[in-house]
Amino acid sequence: MHNCNDTRERFTEMVLDGDPRAEKLLDQCEECRAEFESLAATLRMTARLRETVTPTEAYWTGYHAQLRSKLEQFHAKAQRLRHAKAQREELKPGLGFVFASLRKPLRLCVKTFLLPVPVPLSVAVLAIVLLFFAVRAPQQPTPLPQAPVIVQVPVEVPVVQEKVVTKVIYRDRKPISKPSNRVVPENTFARSQETLSGFKPTDEIKLTVIKGGSPNEK
Amino acid sequence: MIVSESDSDLVRRAQAEDIDAFCQLAERYARRIHLLASHYCRHAQDAEDLSQEVWLKAYQALPSFRFESSFYTWLRRITINAFLNHRRSSFFRRRGQTTAVQLVPIDSETPETFHSSSPENIFNKLLFENVVNALAELTPSQRLSFLLRHYEGMSYDEIANAMNCSTGTVKKGVSRAIGKLRARLSPESEEPETLEFSNAQL
Repeated sequence: MHNCNDTRERFTEMVLDGDPRAEKLLDQCEECRAEFESLAATLRMTARLRETVTPTEAYWTGYHAQLRSKLEQFHAKAQRLRHAKAQREELKPGLGFVFASLRKPLRLCVKTFLLPVPVPLSVAVLAIVLLFFAVRAPQQPTPLPQAPVIVQVPVEVPVVQEKVVTKVIYRDRKPISKPSNRVVPENTFARSQETLSGFKPTDEIKLTVIKGGSPNEK
Repeated sequence: MIVSESDSDLVRRAQAEDIDAFCQLAERYARRIHLLASHYCRHAQDAEDLSQEVWLKAYQALPSFRFESSFYTWLRRITINAFLNHRRSSFFRRRGQTTAVQLVPIDSETPETFHSSSPENIFNKLLFENVVNALAELTPSQRLSFLLRHYEGMSYDEIANAMNCSTGTVKKGVSRAIGKLRARLSPESEEPETLEFSNAQL
């Protein structure tokens, strides 16, 4: 029994691997065949690109020249690193010898002083030594506090020095107010008289009363 | 008559720090590596940088090559690792980085990839752009799975082993990639895709 879903799940493998059973399966369903043909056409198209979309020879010349340049740079760098490492290796034995020469006498010293002593004897010796110091300790006079010795040492102390700074300050000068010596001219009245000549006061007196000045006013 | 040296001889010479021998090896396999890189990366410059990085890594690791497999198998393993590492590093590098965009007319000749501006080549260029755009919609692992399966003819198990993942993951990735490609390249979706490409280029 043909199952379209099962068949279509196998399409990718059938197309890519060229499964011989594909024809038999596809004969049973026209829709599956159409689907399969579409898929196969797509892959044929992309496979064709493999042959057609290739850079020109000029491109490859530049590509390989660039690659060679990068390889040479890498090679030179690697050689430099190897050289530096070799130099470090040469230095290493020298330093090792120094450390070994220091270590050997130290070990010998330790070995020389490590003598096998029986435990009771060592405990007895230790007890005697402790007892000796315990008895002797109170007998020792406590040292009196000595009078401090005065030693004069010249010490330079930085002194703050005063510094006189002369600074010229410019101030705005205010104008000096002088007492006014103005003299009123004597002929002022006379001149006013001259100007009022021909003045005639009006006969009508016009008075304007402004109402509302106070609440009692009518 | 020029007798070309075998890969093993060239590798031995290269292991003895003969750069010429290594360059000969590079000349033999650079196109295959470049093809993978050009489909893996969206931009041509990135593809070139990545493929050259593969060769530098191979040269660095060459002393560890023990002739247990063919040179190309060993190189392909380095390529896969370099591609996956490139994915990780490029993620950090590209954050907040601006990209220089070169506007190229659709009918202009691109000397790096196409020999002439004949209709067939223009069609191939469009097709290539569509394929790369379709692959760009996948995750890097899925893209790499498809490329290794389709262009390198590796089995699912080999890919899974090389990429440190399960066979099921690889199968799923390949299937998704083919689905995406079909959606992009099928006649129904041809017009909008071409239009989109034209707008992007112009």
